[in-house]
Amino acid sequence: MKKQVSALLAAGMAASLLVGCGGAASSSAANSTPAESTPASAATETATGESADITLWTYPIGKWGDSESVDALLADFNAKYPDIHVTVEYLDYTNGDDQVNTAIEGGSAPDLVMEGPERLVANWGAKGLMVDLSDLWTDEQKADISASVESACKDSSGAYYEFPLCMTAHCMAINKNVFEAAGAMQYVDAENHTWTTENFLKAVQAVYDSGKTDVGALYCSGQGGDQGTRALVNNLYGGTFTDAAHTKYTADSAENIKALETLKAQDGINFDASINGGEEITLFRNGTLQMAFCWNIAQQKNSDNGPAGTTNSGDEILFMGFPSESGKPALQGGIWGFGIFNNGDENKIAAAKNFINFMANSEETAKAVTTSSYFSVKKSLSDIYADDEIMNEYQKLMPYLGDYYQVTPGWAEARTAWWNMLQQVGADEDVTTAVNDFCATANAAASAS
Amino acid sequence: MAISAAAKKSEPKMSRALVRQETIAGYLFLLPSLLFFVGFVIYPMFMCVFTSFFDSTMNRADVFVGLANYVELFQDTVFLGALRNTLIIVVVSVPITCIFSLWVASAIVNMPSWATSLFRVIFYLPVVTGSVAVTVVWKWMFNNYYGIFNYLGKSMGVLDQNINWLGDQRYALACIILILLTTSVGQPIVLYVSALGNVDQSLVEAAEVDGATKLQAFWKIKWPQIMPTTLYILVITTINSFQCFALIQLLTSGGPKHSTDTIMYYIYYTAFKLYRYGYGNAMGVILAIMIAVLSAVQFKVTQSNE
Repeated sequence: MKKQVSALLAAGMAASLLVGCGGAASSSAANSTPAESTPASAATETATGESADITLWTYPIGKWGDSESVDALLADFNAKYPDIHVTVEYLDYTNGDDQVNTAIEGGSAPDLVMEGPERLVANWGAKGLMVDLSDLWTDEQKADISASVESACKDSSGAYYEFPLCMTAHCMAINKNVFEAAGAMQYVDAENHTWTTENFLKAVQAVYDSGKTDVGALYCSGQGGDQGTRALVNNLYGGTFTDAAHTKYTADSAENIKALETLKAQDGINFDASINGGEEITLFRNGTLQMAFCWNIAQQKNSDNGPAGTTNSGDEILFMGFPSESGKPALQGGIWGFGIFNNGDENKIAAAKNFINFMANSEETAKAVTTSSYFSVKKSLSDIYADDEIMNEYQKLMPYLGDYYQVTPGWAEARTAWWNMLQQVGADEDVTTAVNDFCATANAAASAS
Repeated sequence: MAISAAAKKSEPKMSRALVRQETIAGYLFLLPSLLFFVGFVIYPMFMCVFTSFFDSTMNRADVFVGLANYVELFQDTVFLGALRNTLIIVVVSVPITCIFSLWVASAIVNMPSWATSLFRVIFYLPVVTGSVAVTVVWKWMFNNYYGIFNYLGKSMGVLDQNINWLGDQRYALACIILILLTTSVGQPIVLYVSALGNVDQSLVEAAEVDGATKLQAFWKIKWPQIMPTTLYILVITTINSFQCFALIQLLTSGGPKHSTDTIMYYIYYTAFKLYRYGYGNAMGVILAIMIAVLSAVQFKVTQSNE
């Protein structure tokens, strides 16, 4: 009998370790039932938000992930709003979503969150958890912000769930010294930071032939930095990741299949299922890889292991647009800004709007943008980096910003399916079969959303 | 006499009051941990089972679906692959861990005490080292480009070119099992050393005087005496193997091509990436049943050996 009891206890212990995923069937509904979307005017009529304790959860968007920098911004904010106390929680991209979603489930979502439209609009906004910020989007703001950015910040019904602060274009990078030594710089338009698909392939071959056999890696161990691999594949022969209306995934197009087959066949390009984007950058910086597909201005200005714009051994890093047949890339953009969770407290919502207005729509905005290390979404602030040579040079890529397709339904599942698809291609499976599997999974998720 | 009768009559009353007082005090002492146990173990366990019958996700009311999650589970090729991988991990790692631990413990138990302690420390070190730190070191050793295994393999002429240990589906699961073994043997070795030290030496000596070989002495005398320890080790190693998660999350994210997906990782992915709580909980229930059944079998087998 004792042993039966012991066995039951052992099973109980095992089961107890599984309870982390136990969602309360009834409570989840109760806690997460969205409050009515609150038009901003109503909020301001009932509450001024001049005095409140609010919480801001921010992802690591440049130095918005650094408490010292954010504290400086908050000090300025509190000089104007001494009675609004902002408590900041710093998230990372590994666990941040889990933290936010756990908080939502627990009925303790933050008041403010700083991230991009794929989360604020396509995820939490689509679930009715966010406050409509239409009142912050005045005609003056709309005139100052590009239509593509504005479009990314609102849903199909016209509700704005994000007020943007900054943006950048994701790109790739090459080791200029290695390319020069291999005679591959002849294929690179170094002045404009662009190249054609044909020249890209020639350059990779030249570097490979020079003895640097690990030229680039299509990292696919996880979703970290996956925008780089998507951009490379989509740009090579003019493919797209989704349709223009952002309703379905189109990786199974002839252009994308051709791109994947070309990359698979190319000497020096490995489909590496053991690394993600961050690890690819490390391998590029330490000289193992000669190009990185996961790059942006923050990487270019990173000086943790040496002067900005150089590898660990001092080689010059040249940032590049992704290769395309015409030489004009369609770069994936990153747009970051603020959203407000509808926690049902009008005064806190009003206070959060005061915060957004202060950071993204005041004289303080330039400082808030430079803290992100990216570019302002506002045309009126296009010169905030006038004295910064690297930023000015990088600005050459901004006209190439492409479609912001991350708001397509089923995005979370599509991201995972993407790197699983790359793993399939890397394991020598038929490319057409792999992309068809990807599209079936991603489109099923899109339909279910 | 009257006093004595009165005392006798009042004694049981006093005693019952005392017992009641002590019982209440006992329950009060127990209450904090009981509350935690009920709140953080029993209630979530119940909700895990309950939610598994619902289509449960974020931000909408749950929908009762009966056994649909369980039916879907056994048609889900990724889950079946994860189940297969989990069983491979258990079948390979549990026996190796037990046999290796017993072998090491037998080898070091009769050494001078300082040597026994030294080996115990060495083998126990990976257990007390943070799993993230251990994983990072292993990831470096398995690195496709500059990992020490590729370096040694090429230096010794065993390998012609680098192997992408964690990025190649032929090797990834084996690498996971190897790492799991190194972190699993520490505690069993310590337990076996202790159990072997408690074996009645007079019985062993008597058997040897009667002409028993070392193997016979071990099998007939030591083995039955360390059977409870073996049972405990089998159960905890099995549970640990079934719950292999951190290694997968940190090293491979279930790839390449789902070749290292385990049930635990798939539960995490389903519940916390896709937010399908009901479906994830159904997997959790299946996993708990599997562990319970396997533990019961282990109890039964070892009981019959005793």
